Amino acid sequence: MNDDELMLKSLAMGTFDDLFSDIPEELRVNMDIGKPLSEQKLIEKIKKISGQNVNMVKFLGNGIYDRYIPHLVDEIISRNEFLTSYTPYQPEISQGILNALFEYQSVISDLTEMDVTNSSMYDGFTSLGEAVRMAYRVNGKSEILIPENIYRAKYEIIKNYVYGLNVKFVEYGFNKNGLLDLDDLSSKINDSTSSIIVENPNAFGLIDENAIRVREIKKNALIITYYDPISLGILKPPGEYDSDIAIAEGQQLGIHMNMGGPLLGLFSFKKDYVHKSPGRLIGLSNDKNGNKAFVMTLQAREQHIRRAKAMSNICSNQALLAVAATAYLSILGGSGLRNIASITVNKSKKLKEKMKSIGINTVFDGINFSDNLFHFDKIDILKKKGIAGGIKLSDITYMNGITDASFFSVTEKTSNEDMDYLAESLRGF
Amino acid sequence: MYRQAHYDEDFLIDYNTGSDYLLEEENCDLPENMKRKSLKLPNLRSFDVSRHYTKLSEMNYSVDVGMYPLGSCTMKYNPKYNDYIASMETFTDVHPMDYGMNMQGSLEIMYNLQEYLKSISGMDCVTLQPSAGAHGEFTGILIVRKYFEMRNELNQRNEIIIPDSAHGTNPASASMAGFKVIEVPSDENGLIDLNALDAAVSENTAAFMITNPNTLGIFDDNILKIAEIIHKNGALLYYDGANFNAILGITTPGIMGFDIVHFNLHKTFATPHGGGGPGSGPVAVKSFLKDFLPVPVISKNEGGYFLDYNVKNTIGKVSSYYGSFAILLRAYSYILKNGNDLKKNTQKAVLNSNYMADQLRKYYTIPYKKLKKHEFVLSTENTGKRALDISKFILDYGIHSPTTYFPLIVKEAVMIEPTESSTKKEMDFYIDVMKKAAFMDSDAIKSYPINTSVGRIDEVKAARNLIMHW
Repeated sequence: MNDDELMLKSLAMGTFDDLFSDIPEELRVNMDIGKPLSEQKLIEKIKKISGQNVNMVKFLGNGIYDRYIPHLVDEIISRNEFLTSYTPYQPEISQGILNALFEYQSVISDLTEMDVTNSSMYDGFTSLGEAVRMAYRVNGKSEILIPENIYRAKYEIIKNYVYGLNVKFVEYGFNKNGLLDLDDLSSKINDSTSSIIVENPNAFGLIDENAIRVREIKKNALIITYYDPISLGILKPPGEYDSDIAIAEGQQLGIHMNMGGPLLGLFSFKKDYVHKSPGRLIGLSNDKNGNKAFVMTLQAREQHIRRAKAMSNICSNQALLAVAATAYLSILGGSGLRNIASITVNKSKKLKEKMKSIGINTVFDGINFSDNLFHFDKIDILKKKGIAGGIKLSDITYMNGITDASFFSVTEKTSNEDMDYLAESLRGF
Repeated sequence: MYRQAHYDEDFLIDYNTGSDYLLEEENCDLPENMKRKSLKLPNLRSFDVSRHYTKLSEMNYSVDVGMYPLGSCTMKYNPKYNDYIASMETFTDVHPMDYGMNMQGSLEIMYNLQEYLKSISGMDCVTLQPSAGAHGEFTGILIVRKYFEMRNELNQRNEIIIPDSAHGTNPASASMAGFKVIEVPSDENGLIDLNALDAAVSENTAAFMITNPNTLGIFDDNILKIAEIIHKNGALLYYDGANFNAILGITTPGIMGFDIVHFNLHKTFATPHGGGGPGSGPVAVKSFLKDFLPVPVISKNEGGYFLDYNVKNTIGKVSSYYGSFAILLRAYSYILKNGNDLKKNTQKAVLNSNYMADQLRKYYTIPYKKLKKHEFVLSTENTGKRALDISKFILDYGIHSPTTYFPLIVKEAVMIEPTESSTKKEMDFYIDVMKKAAFMDSDAIKSYPINTSVGRIDEVKAARNLIMHW
């Protein structure tokens, strides 16, 4: 007898069917989803499908960026000990991942100069939704100030996240230079303002000098800053301009694009709000022998303890990708990140010069980080020339006023040849 | 004897070997007030980063090391062909905003996975967008909300009923989407108390959220009656798919009468859980709820596959883009590879669970009905020892302990889910260790674990004296 037969016998059962005698006949199904395949056949089939993806010269960005990922990052997160472990509910046997997540919290707090970072959220946009909920828990106020140029997808997700709350959105505008309009924002802040969402770089791709001045007018509202983590290699961090909550999409930190998922939500905040915060937190303590030891802490905020009254329903998060981000930032170090951020700004500058030389102008003057907005809408030409880019402003935001504007984005991987090819392809159109 | 590694490993920030990541020094012009003044990041060689994580990994237990019978978590083997497939550059390098014609391969994978999930669940339409199980629940409940909003019944239908044995995410998701949570007690068999349910259901009920089999691992054969009670009242029936590994290929939520289902791909469909995530939580609905799904769904016409935003009463978006593609891809290849053999996994998972329950019944109280599905719950109360102490003792043998103190309706609960991946030999060893634990001295057991990286941790100190940064 094989093991299965032995086990069935010890249960006094004849067949597998006896194990399902509690499932009424009328509920039984005959699943037919095909025969099993050998691994070889499987790989052949999948390769055939994947072969239909086409890789053009890319000028795509607006939240997801094709950055260079050191091989060591993938190597680390491929280690089975991390890859195939569960949430560290038993800390004594899970110190490795706990230590790694504690370091993630630390490195993101250092990057943003915020007090506390949780051990990851799903992605940037849902983190923004959670941040708005958190601000509401902190002050119970009802108005959320939101930039009028915010990506539609972000706005839709935030709306879904506050669906059950008694809140409303008030939009604030941008000046003729494409920067946050401080006067307009100021006029809309009142005693009912719960939070102000500020983006830097803003949704036009501009490094926004006014974003860091919102602290001067915020009154009692909470500032939620949405930042670009690579940009913090050179830009003033959110903690330095009095952000209460700082949110970002962490994909750029060593995570492949993968058609937009899985991603990594970076979620940091001032320490006063820790008991109102969503997500898992890793704390440092010691074991009974005095060894340094890590545990998930303040779990009473979470769904498995607090149930309906939890700060959030989040359970699985993006732990493995948080490890990737930490490894990425550690491999680069401060100088590496500063260089990559500088290269990005300089490439944007170069792209704008090249486009200007063929008569395609930017919508706004100013300093761009990765995303550059041009007066251009001839997407068909791009497709013909094998260039992926030209995301239309009116497709991804509610800014319908500027109809001919589209984005071209760069990273440190964008070569001079790519830019020359783009300019050459668009000359005369 | 098991002995887990222990290193007095420095934090990354405490190495000072100097970064060797070669990049040409570059500067850019920024206004003075925008410039960062100082940046404190780790500064070490790549080699040290590699060693650091290798050491940490040796201090981490995983399913590739040994048995991991965490109840409700379905820690099965994660086949390596899936990781290889997910690493193909033709998939990893796709930007989500690229032209549809450039991502036909990825879209085909998603479309096919939608089709598979429909067949497997007996449902009509699928969204792959939610990032995890709880996120799927939230998405499902937003669909419930929108459905009643369109029927002008939302003001009235503001309650969601949940059994007291439910996963914590259920009430949390319902509450997050703005509903009041009504808890119904289980009956003496650990099943839904039909009388209590009848009493709880009213014109205020929007939905009833359950999993079947429930968290005790017991299949509720009253499910059709339950569906009738809920539907007669005009409410919706929600299926928490965390326990799908018990029924895959045997029955479906569709045939049981459920209207909305979420899947946990990192459980049932063997995608690695990564120390806490990323997961993936697709949602399937019956056709009358099709118009409420998040956008885009993946559709197909004569031109090929496309991101379809044409969903009439969509709840909008719930994730930044289209879902966790690299996870969806692994789940797809797992289903494609196993095909109809997935049913065998279910049978084996249920056999393993019943075998362990039957053996452990000799030493522990296992309440409720004898026949279990993929998992079961025992109580350590009869041994005079706490579930906590038993679970820490088990770790010392190089095996992961089960879920403890859940579900809440069993005192000193230990929830065991061996999955189809556990062998008889592994389980016999596990049972033997559990037996030892049952007969351990009540004080002596408190000194365990000894052979793990660290001993018992002062969790109170961690919460009182919060240190969350190096």
